[in-house]
Amino acid sequence: MESINGIMIAIVLFGIGIFALIIRRDLVIKLLALGLIDSSSVLFLVSLNAEGDGIAPILYGPLAANYVDPLPQALVISAIVINFSLLALALVFVMLLVERYHTTDSVRIAHEVEKERQS
Amino acid sequence: MIIVLLPLGHFLLGVLSLLWQRGARRLFPFALLADASLIGTLWVRVAGGTSASIVLGGWGRDLGIELSADRIGLAFSTLALILAIAVTAYLWKERLRPYFYVLLHFLLASVFALVFARDLFNIYVIIELLTLVSFLLVGYERKAQQIWASLNYLILAALGMAMYLFGVGIIYYHTGTLNLTLLAERIIGMHDQMWLITASTLLVVGVSIKAGVFVFSLWLPAAHASASPAVSALLSGLVIKMGVVVLLRLSTVLDISLPLIVMGGLTGVVGAVYAMFTYELKRLLAFSTLSQIGYLLIGIGIGTPLAIAGSISYAVAHGLFKGLLFLAAGQVVHTTGSAFIPQQVARREKIPRATRIALLVGTLAIAGLPPLAGFCAKGLLSAATHSLAIHLLLVFVSLGTVISFSKLVPLLDPWRGGSDEGAKTISYGILALSIIAFLPLSFLFDGRIQVLSSLSLLHAGESIAIIAAGLLAHHVLRRHYTRLPQRIFRLEEAILTILSMFFVTFLLLAFF
Repeated sequence: MESINGIMIAIVLFGIGIFALIIRRDLVIKLLALGLIDSSSVLFLVSLNAEGDGIAPILYGPLAANYVDPLPQALVISAIVINFSLLALALVFVMLLVERYHTTDSVRIAHEVEKERQS
Repeated sequence: MIIVLLPLGHFLLGVLSLLWQRGARRLFPFALLADASLIGTLWVRVAGGTSASIVLGGWGRDLGIELSADRIGLAFSTLALILAIAVTAYLWKERLRPYFYVLLHFLLASVFALVFARDLFNIYVIIELLTLVSFLLVGYERKAQQIWASLNYLILAALGMAMYLFGVGIIYYHTGTLNLTLLAERIIGMHDQMWLITASTLLVVGVSIKAGVFVFSLWLPAAHASASPAVSALLSGLVIKMGVVVLLRLSTVLDISLPLIVMGGLTGVVGAVYAMFTYELKRLLAFSTLSQIGYLLIGIGIGTPLAIAGSISYAVAHGLFKGLLFLAAGQVVHTTGSAFIPQQVARREKIPRATRIALLVGTLAIAGLPPLAGFCAKGLLSAATHSLAIHLLLVFVSLGTVISFSKLVPLLDPWRGGSDEGAKTISYGILALSIIAFLPLSFLFDGRIQVLSSLSLLHAGESIAIIAAGLLAHHVLRRHYTRLPQRIFRLEEAILTILSMFFVTFLLLAFF
């Protein structure tokens, strides 16, 4: 399986996420798709800079020359935390909307909100 | 030191206000006072020619995070300070939960951090923080409308930032640095490489979703129209500008001037047309924000020092008068009990006099009446454009602005009845004074001679002619009200629009 690598998987995941974000009307599924998109960007960042047979940049035993670059891995930790907090906040918003409208259907919620705005 | 103290101090004060809730409101003015002195010190230092920059962590530029203060960053932090003072004065008598002040502290902290940031990933983290705070601010009153607008904003923003992260990954892989200064050195001569074009597209599209560019920021009208007035003023005056600052920083490194000019023109024209046919006061202001972003992008796209100076001063000027307009509009909506302009005109006796004067000053400034803030910045921008097409575009956008704000004329009459009860005079006064004093203040930002020589009588005449023509056109057009399609503002359509504009941007970068 030489031809399948992290970069390709990341791009495919991104595509699936966008597709689901557009065609699914359920807000919870939309948020799952958003999670998929976020994960794909993390996977992309890590695997782009970790090609070949490099080993994890953790110091154990003697120093080896073929460590992968540790910086992207440090970066994605921040990205993961940020994405986690965004999704958590989005779920709270969805919860408040469901309490109000008793549905997770984005089209119906949009319709109700628009009706309230006009009145 | 000071550069670190500004953002970090606000974060700590935010946490402190969270712990000591009773004192949060009292603490806030003192924090602003401290900001004012720090920003003043930085201004003195930058004007004196000493560089105020620092690399955190002691690793050097290629690994550490660089923070650096320049005139652009300082101009925006001054804008942030003035808006924060005005908003505090506006909200002083209202009983807000201390939580609101915590959010304000975090907002200011991320704004100060962003204007000084010089590192692609640092910018990513701060923008995410800034938008996280603005989601909470939009949904602060927990009305269903606000939460829905906020959720749409969140989904689109998260999509944009994922794209930005892809771009950052590609750039780091090929150049091995995230620092903007180092990046500029390392990509010399590589501007037609496919990876750089892809990365630029990803970065520009990702940031544009936040920056209030019409085709990307379709969440903006709902979010800015539904938020409470003080929050709208901060979002429209400040948070949107932060996206523009990032675009400006990117444009100094990457070769993205053509997509910026195209996007700017599109935003200006479509935003102005939508503003013309909207009769909901706050939504009108939100659309006008979109159209004004067009000016900024065109200025950045042209890229000469004069054009960039024009862009920055327009960004600051727009922050001031749009803040004033949103604050005053909030009170108009509150006192008349209606969100729509015709009903507000019918009940205009109830609007306090100070509010009407504030609306008048804001409207005159946005229309570009000569000595006020709007004219000064527009003059600089139009002095910087040499292409006739772009000049006509700018004139069209100004005309559209005047036409859409002509609807407010019946509201503005300052002599008709009205009490002064509950007027937020101090808040309006701060913003109105800075709008009037903008021209002398802009000497700080740019050399006095350059400013004065580019503002000729010709520009003043042009501005007045545009205002007159706009008022006239409003009287012709007001009988022909059409309802423009609102479908594009729905979430799914917005995502599709973003995707298609992504490919357009890519093609523009790749083939022209």
